[in-house]
Amino acid sequence: MAMIYKKTVARFEETIAIEAADGLQSWLGTHPKAKLDFSACTHLHAAVLQVLMTQAFPVSAWPRDERLKAWLTAALKHP
Amino acid sequence: MTPMLQQFLSESREFLQRISQRLLSLEHTPEDAALLDDLFRSVHTLKGNSGLFDFPEMTRVLHAAEDLMSAVRERRLSYSRSLADQLLDAMDFISLLADEIESTGESHARHAARSTTLAQQLRQFIPGDGGAGREEPRAAPTQTSAGVSEAVLASIPGELRAAWAAAIGGGQPHCLLVYTPEPECFFKGEDPLYQVIQTPNLVWQHSSAVESWPSLAELDPYRCNLRFTVVTTAAREAIEAHFRYVPDQIALTALTVDQLLPRAPAQAAAPKAPDAGRARVENLMRTQIGIFALRDDVACLPGRLKAAVGALRGCLRSTLREALIPALEAALARSLEQRSAAPLRGWAEALEASPGPAAPDAPDPGISESAPIAGSAGSSLGAETVKTLKVDQEKIDRLMNLIGEMVVAKNGLPFLAGRAENHFGVRELAREIKAQYAVINRIASEMQDAIMQVRMMPVSFIFQRFPRLVRDITRKLGKEVDLVLEGEATEADKNIIEALADPLIHIVRNSLDHGIESPEVRRAAGKPPAGRLVIRATQESDRVYIDIIDDGKGIDPAVVKRKAYEKGLIDEATLERISDKEAIQLIFAAGFSTADVVSDLSGRGVGMDVVRSAVNQVNGTVTLESTPGQGTRLRLSLPLSMAVTNVMVIESDHRIFGVPMDMVLETVRLPRSSIRAIKNRQTTILRDRIMPVRSLNELLASTTPQQSNEEDELATLIVQIQGEPVGILVDDFREVIDIILKPMSGILSSLSGYSGSALLGDGSVLMVLNPKELVTWQ
Repeated sequence: MAMIYKKTVARFEETIAIEAADGLQSWLGTHPKAKLDFSACTHLHAAVLQVLMTQAFPVSAWPRDERLKAWLTAALKHP
Repeated sequence: MTPMLQQFLSESREFLQRISQRLLSLEHTPEDAALLDDLFRSVHTLKGNSGLFDFPEMTRVLHAAEDLMSAVRERRLSYSRSLADQLLDAMDFISLLADEIESTGESHARHAARSTTLAQQLRQFIPGDGGAGREEPRAAPTQTSAGVSEAVLASIPGELRAAWAAAIGGGQPHCLLVYTPEPECFFKGEDPLYQVIQTPNLVWQHSSAVESWPSLAELDPYRCNLRFTVVTTAAREAIEAHFRYVPDQIALTALTVDQLLPRAPAQAAAPKAPDAGRARVENLMRTQIGIFALRDDVACLPGRLKAAVGALRGCLRSTLREALIPALEAALARSLEQRSAAPLRGWAEALEASPGPAAPDAPDPGISESAPIAGSAGSSLGAETVKTLKVDQEKIDRLMNLIGEMVVAKNGLPFLAGRAENHFGVRELAREIKAQYAVINRIASEMQDAIMQVRMMPVSFIFQRFPRLVRDITRKLGKEVDLVLEGEATEADKNIIEALADPLIHIVRNSLDHGIESPEVRRAAGKPPAGRLVIRATQESDRVYIDIIDDGKGIDPAVVKRKAYEKGLIDEATLERISDKEAIQLIFAAGFSTADVVSDLSGRGVGMDVVRSAVNQVNGTVTLESTPGQGTRLRLSLPLSMAVTNVMVIESDHRIFGVPMDMVLETVRLPRSSIRAIKNRQTTILRDRIMPVRSLNELLASTTPQQSNEEDELATLIVQIQGEPVGILVDDFREVIDIILKPMSGILSSLSGYSGSALLGDGSVLMVLNPKELVTWQ
């Protein structure tokens, strides 16, 4: 459905729409040690992706969806 | 033909024109960086645009031209005349293709050979480019430049490439797709990531930044900075269909085995997958190994070798091939001993042959700064956005005709007012109609003025082809000429400008061929070796003057007279009688040619009379002045606009006719007694000069005698024909009116006695006479 921000983990749930981009950006700005949890993620908008690509954030869980996982691993490995 | 193709063709012509202009300007200022940039941009945009269509012949040549221009721009190559010749040739070919596409809608495959030759000739200029090899695969016209795909390919793991190469060999096509969403795409509701994830039959994907990523805080998340690179096994059509809404943002290349395995096949089977940095390292190694091939007999050899080996050592370490370092060290020691790089060269060869990804010259995988994607070039590079509307001339002509009819219809109102007053006796109404008429009249004349402005074109339209023409001709003739163009912004009606093009070319050719002498002759005559040809346009009231002035040898009246006599254009008596000034006018006579040898430039003896008749057709005149040894000056005088003609209405044999006012010198009433016959010609004496007199009825083959007024005077219209006044007897004069003259069309167009017809305010047709033709005809 949306982003869930825990203490140091940003959890991506289902489809993340473009509206989440600036929220994520400011949250990541204040949580430099954040981890990303994509386990429940089915898709994220390109705008969200480019926020994640600016900096290498550790990923605690990759998406279950193989196709999205392939894209995210390729995109986030070498920011 | 689709509107897009139409627009492409019309833009291509503009670009071609611009390119040849820039090429010619560059001959004078080869160092002008702005000109070079502009030239490159034009070629580049034209190439990009041509890639939108399936015209491989055109794209191939343009691509080569673009590469060449790029080399010149980067100063890898200096601009030269022969280079310009080659580029001009290429542009001529493109323009030929454009003509063909315009008429048939497609570019014919028979041009393929010529296109390949031209492209190769262009590439031969590029340093380090052997001519062939850079050719893109014919079967896959692509919108991306080879540079992009090569860089991208280098970043793909070797084993994947090998697998694809095998699949391609097995008949399974692979396409490389680079998708660069436009920065504003998020505001259009697009999700490029979703779009690209959905690409059919994806086998590999990569996401990167167009411009390097800013820091997290500085990023504008709503401005797309992503570039996706994918490889798919889907058919080209399927991919194009998938991206059909963003066709300008994708670049598609069909991968070939050669592209995937650019070097030795062994290398593709490399055990380790090189990452992005790997290729850079290998490039570095290759450079170092190149150092070993340099000359050995220099003092700095030991230092040089040590430095290269040091760099190689670091490279090997970073690519986890430390095992190779001892052999390298040993080779270095031997090389230093022998003062020769041979042992190191041997080491390098062994390294190349080894299974490791030794030293391919993989280009920098800087996908992010790769060459611009062709398809979008047109919009992004067209820096100067002029607010112009391209309109078909037919539409303008229609508008002009409609306005013309409106002007004529408006003229019906005074008639109506007259009827209201005289016939129905309502004076009040007549006055109101007249008041309304005044308003409509004002608007109509403004409309007329506006449409005339639309039709106005600067003379630069024809002038712009002269630099090329003069350059080509002078080079052919071995002469040197400085061409000076002045007043290019002077405007005149489109029809007049167009009618002027051919005569002007004739004149310029004549000046170059017969007028301006060769440098040796000029030097001997004490003139500067380079001749000077001035083409100047000026406007004075309602006429445009075009002067063509050269400082050549001028026209010798004696030679002209003799030639004219020999050709039977004048008789012996005339030969004795005519003045020098009159003699040089003989060059306008049909069938006159002073050139002893007929060249392919001019001198077919048709030149100048064609010029005169073409200029006469648009109501212009040609005057010629020449001073032997000093030069020739030709002046074309043309009306600004042909659309509105001022005519005098005359009456003869109970009919009315129009006579163009610019022909009429004056109107007089001659007493019948003053007209005398000399032999069978009527003449009169006007202000102590004998003037021939013709009766209009007679000229129009009517037997009715001309009517005189109560004092037995005949209305006589004096017109100027070939510089001589001629009286034309008519029945009566009427008012002078402005009309829209419509030339005779179809079968009637051969009636040269009439210049056209016009509608009058009361709906009747006015025939407009052409007195010049009428009088000289019989």
